Amino acid sequence: MTPTDLSAWVDQAARLLGLPVAEEHRPGVLHYFSIAADMAALVNELPLSALDKAAGAFIPIAPASPGDADALDNR
Amino acid sequence: MSAPDLLMQDACTIATALRSRQVSATMLVEASLARIGHTDPLINAFTAITHQRARARAEQIDQQLATGNASTSALPLLGVPFAVKNLFDIEGITTLAGSTILAGEPVAKVDGPLVSRLEAAGAILVGALNMDEFAYGFSTENSHYGPTRNPHDPARLAGGSSGGSAAAVAAGQVPLTLGSDTNGSIRVPASLCGIYGLKPTYGRLPRTGTYPFVNSLDHLGPFARSVRDLALSYDVLQGYDANDSGCVRRYVEPCSGTLEPGLKGLRIARLGGYFQEHSEATARHAVDRVAQALGGLATLELPEVPRARAAAFVITNAEGAALHLNDLRSRAGDFEPLSRDRFLAGALLPAAWVIQAQRVRRWFALRVAELMRDVDVLIAAATPVPAPLIGTEWIEIGGRKVQARPSLGLLTQPISCIGLPVCCVPVWDAHPALPIGVQIIAAPWREDHALRVACALERAGVTRAPVAQLS
Repeated sequence: MTPTDLSAWVDQAARLLGLPVAEEHRPGVLHYFSIAADMAALVNELPLSALDKAAGAFIPIAPASPGDADALDNR
Repeated sequence: MSAPDLLMQDACTIATALRSRQVSATMLVEASLARIGHTDPLINAFTAITHQRARARAEQIDQQLATGNASTSALPLLGVPFAVKNLFDIEGITTLAGSTILAGEPVAKVDGPLVSRLEAAGAILVGALNMDEFAYGFSTENSHYGPTRNPHDPARLAGGSSGGSAAAVAAGQVPLTLGSDTNGSIRVPASLCGIYGLKPTYGRLPRTGTYPFVNSLDHLGPFARSVRDLALSYDVLQGYDANDSGCVRRYVEPCSGTLEPGLKGLRIARLGGYFQEHSEATARHAVDRVAQALGGLATLELPEVPRARAAAFVITNAEGAALHLNDLRSRAGDFEPLSRDRFLAGALLPAAWVIQAQRVRRWFALRVAELMRDVDVLIAAATPVPAPLIGTEWIEIGGRKVQARPSLGLLTQPISCIGLPVCCVPVWDAHPALPIGVQIIAAPWREDHALRVACALERAGVTRAPVAQLS
């Protein structure tokens, strides 16, 4: 990703998200987005197959029964 | 021994002294409050002190002991003053998570479960501790509440993000604290402040009642001055909680009684490659010292460590930013200047990067699990360097000039990425004046292995956690 690409992505993505980036914050945001892009490149370069699943799985939540010590407290 | 002298000992010694009525809980709490009052203007570890609550609880314990209450007397952490990172809920106090953004929120209605569990074990809460805003940092140079200073050299960093938690123990304010660790936030400050820290397996301790940072990676754990304190506090902190989606339903597996076998039967190796390349001289010497004490160790290399670290970075950046998106939209100027631009950038990462990072994370966990069929414990430095001066922007690692603050987590981040339990132990012989930590890393759910090795090193005199000499 060239600096121009990166800058264009940051501006467009911020607009899409409704995330104002103040002029004084923009150089810092571009700097850190560039670091994240470098990290993402490292991640993306690892060859993976369709069977390499993502970490983290959703666990369905059953309704609590009376007296269930593990019942959610609905905080 | 007087209460102020006892306060400089570990939690087990303090509880034993109170149990034998050498001292009262009130005397211990007053000693802790006095030490905080005397030293915290310099160290800045505390953001709130719970004077009234602590005194009331101490008085209650003293009354119960006076009536011969056997169950109170048997409490494992009887009368031990403790404090928690200010992202833990404390009844009647607003949970700040190091921010001013949350300062206007209502106070917490109840204590977080881990605070309650320590108090149920007899410990006495004396306050809340400073941290990097929203836990996004390794330095605790908090612009809102001031930097926490390293008790062993107040010109230097305490580390972060649980900097107050480490500094309070090193300063002799309390013998026991709680913190959180997403990418190294227990292990980095434990390393820089020269104390013991335990990051249990991801999913072991419930995070309910704490302000989150990155759900995929957040861990909680204790800091202490001895391995037996870590084990004892970890034992009472365990227990499933369905209110934390990341908490795994497991039996409580106490470790305090498992330390005695020492190294017997354990297969131990030191981590090479990335971990050696990112360790400067002091860190390498500390690992050498530990390896020598363990009888000399073979070197093991993990595959693709930079990609694992990158995966943790991307996940952290994106999840952390998404959590704060509304405030980033409406009041970005109120965020900590050291992390605001990182949060803003993180909100803009493409989804494909984040999902790929989660896939790489699992790939790495599977590869490491294969390697750990043949080895029980891995050794690596906890930080590339000992504590830098506060305000340091750049350090040199492996002959390259790198940004100081994020680089403090280079050696911890790949390990927490896959949730392995780690005991961070303090080595003092590797540098003329400063401590540095070594990570004792075990397979998932084998905190007992990490603690056994840590205990053996402590008994051999290789590691220790002295209280800082503060005038």
